[in-house]
Amino acid sequence: MQTRAHPGPPEGAFVAPPALTTVRARTLFTPLDTGGRADTVTRRLAKAIRLGLLLDGERLPAESQLAGQLGVSTVTLREALATLRTMGLVETRRGRGGGSFVRAPDDPDRLERPLRLLSLHELRDIGDHRAAIAGTAARLAAERALPADVTTLRDHAERLRGAAALTDRRRADARLHIEIAATAQSPRLTREEMDLWSEIGDLVWLPMEGADVAPAARDHDRLIDAIEAHAPERAREIAERHVAAETGRLLDLRLSLHQR
Amino acid sequence: MTPPPMTPPQTTPPPMAPPPATGGPAAGEGEHLLAGITALIERVLASVTEVAEAMTAVAAAARTGRRPLRRADLAALRPLVAQVLARHRGFAAGAGVVLAPDALADAPRCIDWWWADQGIGQLEVDLDPASAEFYDYTTTEWYREPARTGQPCIAGPYVDYICTHKYTFTVSVPVVDDGRFVGVAGADILAGEVERMLLPGLSLLRRANRPAVLVSGDGRVIASGTASILPGTVLRPAGPVTAAGPLPWKLLSGPGLANAAGR
Repeated sequence: MQTRAHPGPPEGAFVAPPALTTVRARTLFTPLDTGGRADTVTRRLAKAIRLGLLLDGERLPAESQLAGQLGVSTVTLREALATLRTMGLVETRRGRGGGSFVRAPDDPDRLERPLRLLSLHELRDIGDHRAAIAGTAARLAAERALPADVTTLRDHAERLRGAAALTDRRRADARLHIEIAATAQSPRLTREEMDLWSEIGDLVWLPMEGADVAPAARDHDRLIDAIEAHAPERAREIAERHVAAETGRLLDLRLSLHQR
Repeated sequence: MTPPPMTPPQTTPPPMAPPPATGGPAAGEGEHLLAGITALIERVLASVTEVAEAMTAVAAAARTGRRPLRRADLAALRPLVAQVLARHRGFAAGAGVVLAPDALADAPRCIDWWWADQGIGQLEVDLDPASAEFYDYTTTEWYREPARTGQPCIAGPYVDYICTHKYTFTVSVPVVDDGRFVGVAGADILAGEVERMLLPGLSLLRRANRPAVLVSGDGRVIASGTASILPGTVLRPAGPVTAAGPLPWKLLSGPGLANAAGR
């Protein structure tokens, strides 16, 4: 049994963490299981950039260090970085002050690119997946919310109302939906919302470029009202309709891209 | 506490058989069930209190030295935080201190929180109120409650998607220097570990047809000894409950549990 006389960790055990050994490092840079592959590394880094965990202009650690953190060889990492450069998500500069830098500007053209790669069928399927997660999360949140949870949700809804830039809106919206899944008391649904938003968060707000945030905000208010009133079925329905409306707007935009 | 009376074995007991009016086996076993987990959490609380006391000393040293409290002053606390994580390895998944807004001269807000998993890492969150990803720790139960009451608190269980990524409790202790609230010291405890400790006792009670459910002060189910009541749901405790010593938790069984489940 440990007592108060426990000596604690050996001296020097509590060293300052190296770059990226933070919580985002833990979510996104935990060593890959099976030897690691370039496309897995690519996906993981792309996800970190899309989620906003790696910010525009942020410098990635040195190749050897990053490769070490990811548990892959530098060759594999270079392959992944080359793909990310092609995707326009990373820029590599040579010479003094050089290195690999994250590129995530608030640029609608860059954002439209992934939409062009998705078929209408795939967009519909993403909508189905989102509705399943968000609908269930809303229903369970309405069953399980405490008053303090509702206060937190209202704070996040307010934050989204005040967000102006596209990326800010996307992040605030993601945060609200993640918070609803957390209110459902489900780490798995929360993780699922985090994954979904990192994958398609850019797309959700794409048709809303320059648009009024008020209709989405009204949906969120009604959803939080239903959660507060412990009305699970109403909450689920509002969440599903909200996702259906967003999917509809995406399908519209996808069709209009085809015409250009 | 009178020893529990011997009861003749029931051949076909009804589910949730009501315990005798006073005392009763459920109450005695309930206290026993809670003793282990309460002691473990109190040990974490004692470790966190050491961090809080050290932080009070750091704040007091700055005040008496007539110099502002700075971020760099928090470095002195880190060995103690590391000690919390080392002592309660596998049980406490994170620990650290957070500062009251404007408590530091060189940062409007500050969180110095560390997680332990394979190694030790520092939690990095966005503390800019203007940012869309602003993490406002002042609204969390584990900050708000000690700030309001001046007392230690055990917050949760809640889905911690910021640090542990698991179902979590946070134990926190207020840091007060010269009557001024400076911040809190705290530790994250994994809800799965708490449940693991309670499960043998809960399943014993279940086998004796006296299923019991442990709820937080808010009525959130921490651990359930019956499949009909899910962990994470909210119950309204009614009737007699067994308080978990200094913890705000309550163990429900018998008619109290049946009433609460009828929400």
